Amino acid sequence: MSTETSDLRSQTSEAGPSKNRQRAEWLRENRVRVTVLAVLVFVFVVALLGLEREDWFETIMQGLSVGALTFLVVSGLSLIFGLMDVFNLAHGEFFMLGAYLGWTAYTRADTLLDVAIPLLLLAAPFALMPLWQRLAVSITLTGRARKATAWGFVIVGALAAFFTITRFPLVIWDAENFALTPANMTVQIDLGTHAPLPADTFSGPVIVAVLGVLLGGALIAFGFGTLRKPGTETEALDRRNYVAFGGLLLAALLLHLVKEPVNEWIFGLSTTWRFFLSMGISVLLVAAFGALVEVILIRPLYDRPIYQLMITLGLGFILIELVREVWGRPEFTMARPAAFAGTGEGCPGQGLGGFFSGCSTVEVFGGRLRVYNEGFVILVGIVVLVAVTLLLRRSRLGMVIRAGVEHPEMVEALGINVRRVFTMVFALGSGLAALGGVLAAPSIGLSSGMGAVFLLGAIVALAVGGLTSFPGAAVGALVVGLLQQIIIRYGQVGIPIPFVEEPFKPSPTVVPAASIVLMVIILLVLPTGLLGRSEK
Amino acid sequence: MTSTALAQSTGLSGWLRRRRGLLGAIALLVAFPFIISIVIDGQGLAAVVNNDLGNARFLQGLAIEIFILGIYAISYDLILGVTGILSFGHAMFFAVGAYTFGIMLKSFELAWPVALLVVLVAAVLQAILFALVLPRVHGITYALVTLGFASVFWIVIQSSDLADYAGAEVGLQGVDAPVWFLDTTNERFIFYLICLAIFFGVYVLYQHIVDSPAGRVFVAIRENEDRALMLGYNTFWFKLLVLVIASITAALAGTIHTLHQPIVTPNVAGLFWTVTALLIILIGGMGTITGALIGAAVYRLLEYYLDKWFAGAAGLLIGAAYVLLVLYVPYGIVGTWRAKSLRIKEGRDRLLKLLTGGGGKEEPAAKE
Repeated sequence: MSTETSDLRSQTSEAGPSKNRQRAEWLRENRVRVTVLAVLVFVFVVALLGLEREDWFETIMQGLSVGALTFLVVSGLSLIFGLMDVFNLAHGEFFMLGAYLGWTAYTRADTLLDVAIPLLLLAAPFALMPLWQRLAVSITLTGRARKATAWGFVIVGALAAFFTITRFPLVIWDAENFALTPANMTVQIDLGTHAPLPADTFSGPVIVAVLGVLLGGALIAFGFGTLRKPGTETEALDRRNYVAFGGLLLAALLLHLVKEPVNEWIFGLSTTWRFFLSMGISVLLVAAFGALVEVILIRPLYDRPIYQLMITLGLGFILIELVREVWGRPEFTMARPAAFAGTGEGCPGQGLGGFFSGCSTVEVFGGRLRVYNEGFVILVGIVVLVAVTLLLRRSRLGMVIRAGVEHPEMVEALGINVRRVFTMVFALGSGLAALGGVLAAPSIGLSSGMGAVFLLGAIVALAVGGLTSFPGAAVGALVVGLLQQIIIRYGQVGIPIPFVEEPFKPSPTVVPAASIVLMVIILLVLPTGLLGRSEK
Repeated sequence: MTSTALAQSTGLSGWLRRRRGLLGAIALLVAFPFIISIVIDGQGLAAVVNNDLGNARFLQGLAIEIFILGIYAISYDLILGVTGILSFGHAMFFAVGAYTFGIMLKSFELAWPVALLVVLVAAVLQAILFALVLPRVHGITYALVTLGFASVFWIVIQSSDLADYAGAEVGLQGVDAPVWFLDTTNERFIFYLICLAIFFGVYVLYQHIVDSPAGRVFVAIRENEDRALMLGYNTFWFKLLVLVIASITAALAGTIHTLHQPIVTPNVAGLFWTVTALLIILIGGMGTITGALIGAAVYRLLEYYLDKWFAGAAGLLIGAAYVLLVLYVPYGIVGTWRAKSLRIKEGRDRLLKLLTGGGGKEEPAAKE
C-alpha cells in the first residue's frame, strides 16, 4: 500500500474522468481492509439478527454507550500517539482521576475549595521564578554539589509545605470511619441531604500556616532555579511576575473569605447543574495535570522512547496508589443527577420523546434503556467527536497537529513551537479522558481498577482503528463497545450450537478476552489497523 | 569484564580466580542461614538443618523469593535488555509455568518429572506463539500484541469456567510438595540450597549465552536489526531462540514459585508482574544480566521494608522510586557501576601506589 492511496477520504472525494479505474485501483490496494471491514460488519449483523428484536436495540444502544466512553479515552491516546509518538500507558489512570475528581467536585465541593487555598499559596512563589534564578546565581557551587544542594532545597521545601498544609482547615472524608466514607456521602447526596462534615479551623496560628506554605513553595522554586546550569541567562523579572504573584495570593485570600457562601451556592444548585459544573472542574484539573506531566516527565525523555513508555507505566501505578490512599480502596458510586433519575408518575418514558421526560428509564422498540447511560453518554460522545473533528479540520491548532503527525521536523522548521503544541495536545487528551471518567462515574461507579479496564478497551480500539488515525479511533471504539455488549448479551441468552442440547454461555469474564482476540487478529491481518496509514 | 591477565590463566586455579566473585557470593549465601541463626536467633547450627522457626527460616524464605524474582527478571533481560524485543507479555511466561506445574500436580496427579516435562513443552509452545507474530508486527505494535496475549491468559485463568483447575480469582492452592526435597515448609534449608543452585546455574548459563557467538547476534539485533540481516543472519531464528530460552527460564521461575508459595494468585499473570520484571532490570541495569540478580535483591528488600515501615504508602513510594530511576538512573546499578568502574579502578591504583610507595605486585595487571 503506498502512502498516497491509503487514505480513504482523499481518494473517495476525488472526482475525475477515470473514476472507475481509480476506484478499481483503490479496491485492489485496500482489498485486505475492505475484506476485514466486510467480515466485521457481517459478523455483527449476523450476531444481532440472532437476538430478539427488543434485545438487539438495547444491545446496540449499550454498545454505543460503552463505545462513547471508550472513545473519550482513545481519542486522547490517539492524538498523543499520533503527534508525539508517546504511548501514554497512564491514560486509563487519567480517566480514573477524572472520575474521582468529578465525584469530589459533585459530592464534596467544600473539600476541593479547602485544598485549593494552600495549593494556590504553594504555587504563588513559582510566579517569581526569575527572582529565584537571579538569587541562585550567588550559589557558586558547580557540578554534582550544586545539584545536590538544589535537591536539598526542594526536599526541605516539600517537607515544610507538607507539614504546614496539614495545619489548614481541610474538610475531608475518612475511608476508615463509616459515617464519613465516600460511599456514605454518595448515599446522602442521593437522598437529597447533605450532612456537613465537622467544621475545621486552622490548627495553630494562621500566620504560621500561611508563611510555612509560602516558604515551602519558595524553597522548592529556589531549588529548581539552582538546578539550571550556572551562567545561563536568567529571565527578566518584570511587572507580570509581581502581578501573577500578587494575584495568586489575592485569589487564595478571596477564596478563603468567600469559601462559605460559595459552598452554600454550590450545594444549593440543582444536582444537574452541579454535575455539569463538576464535569468542567474535573476536565480542567486533569488537563492541567496532564500538561504538568508532559513538561516534567515526558519532555526530558523524547530521545529515549522506551523510557517514555516505562515512565507512563510508572505514573499510572503511582496514580492508582494515590487514589487508594486518598479516596480509600472500597468501590463506591456517584449519585445520578436529578435530570436522569426521575421515577414514579409517567415513568418509564415511552418512545424517543421519553428521553426528555426526566425519567431514569425509557422504553423504545420494546427495549428498556437508561436515559443517562444510553442517552446522555452517547450524546456527549457524539458532541466530542464532532468538536474534536472540527478542531482538527478547521482550526489553526488542528492544522498544526495534523501537520505534526505527518512531518514534525517540517513543522518545526516553519517556526512553530512544536513543544508547546505537544503540551497542549497532552492536556487536551488528558482532559478528554477525564470527561470520560466523570461520565462513567454515575453509571459504572468508581474504583481504582476502572482505568486499567478502559485502557485495555482503548488499546484494542486504537489497534483496531489504526494507531494514528483519529477517525480510526472512533471506529475502533465503536467496534469494541458493540462487541463487548453483544458478547455480554449472548452470555445471558446463550449461543445455540448445532448438535449440542445446552446453548453455550460465555462467562462475563471472557468479554475483555474476546475484544483482545479481535485486536490480535486484526493487527496480524492488518498491522496498520482499519483506517490507519501504512508506515512511511 | 574479566581482565585479560586473569582470562589467560588456565586450569582449575585460573578458573577459581576468574570466578572468585561468584564463588564468594555462593559461599556467603550457603553460610548465610547459619550466620543468621547464630547471630540473630542465638540458636545453634542444627536449628537451620532441623528447620526450626526463627529469623533464619524466615530470611531463607525471603531469599528464595529473591531467587525466583531473579530467575524471572534475568529471562526478561535477555528479551528486552540484550535482544531489544519490546514484549509486554512476560508475566504470561512466568504464569504459564506456575499454573501448568500446579495443575499437572494437583488435578492430573502426574509425577513431578513428568509435570516438569509438560511445563517445558508448554513453555516452548508459547514461545513459538510469541515468535509467530514477530514477522508481522514491530516495536510498539508488538508490545501491544504481547500485552494482548498476556491479558487474554490473565482473563482466562481467572474465569469461572476454569475454576476447578485454576481456582478463579482466588488462585491455585493446595499443591502439595511432590517429593521431600521440594518441600519448602518442612525442608526449608534443602529447598533453599536447591533454589540457590538453580539461581546461579541460570546466571552462569545466561552469561555463557550472551558471550557466545549467538549472543553477539542477539546484541546485533538490538543495535541494528537491518544490518544483522544484511550480514546474513536470519534474525527470526535468533529471536525465536531468545524467546524459547527466556520462556523456559521464566517458566522454571514459575514452577519454583508454585512450590514455594502456598497459593498462586492470578496477579502473576497480570500487567503488574511484567512491570515488576521491568522495574527489577531497570534497578539492576538493562542488558547486563548481572543487573537482574542485583535488581531482584534490591527490589524485594525495598518492597519488604517499605511495606513494613510505611504500610499503605509503600506502593506509592515504589512507584515514585521507579519514576525517578527512569528519569535519572537509566542504566541501573550495574550499568552505572560499569561506566564508573574504570575511574574507580584508576583511583584505587593511585591510592595503592601512594600507600606502598610504588605499585603493588598484581595491580598493574588489572588495568586494561
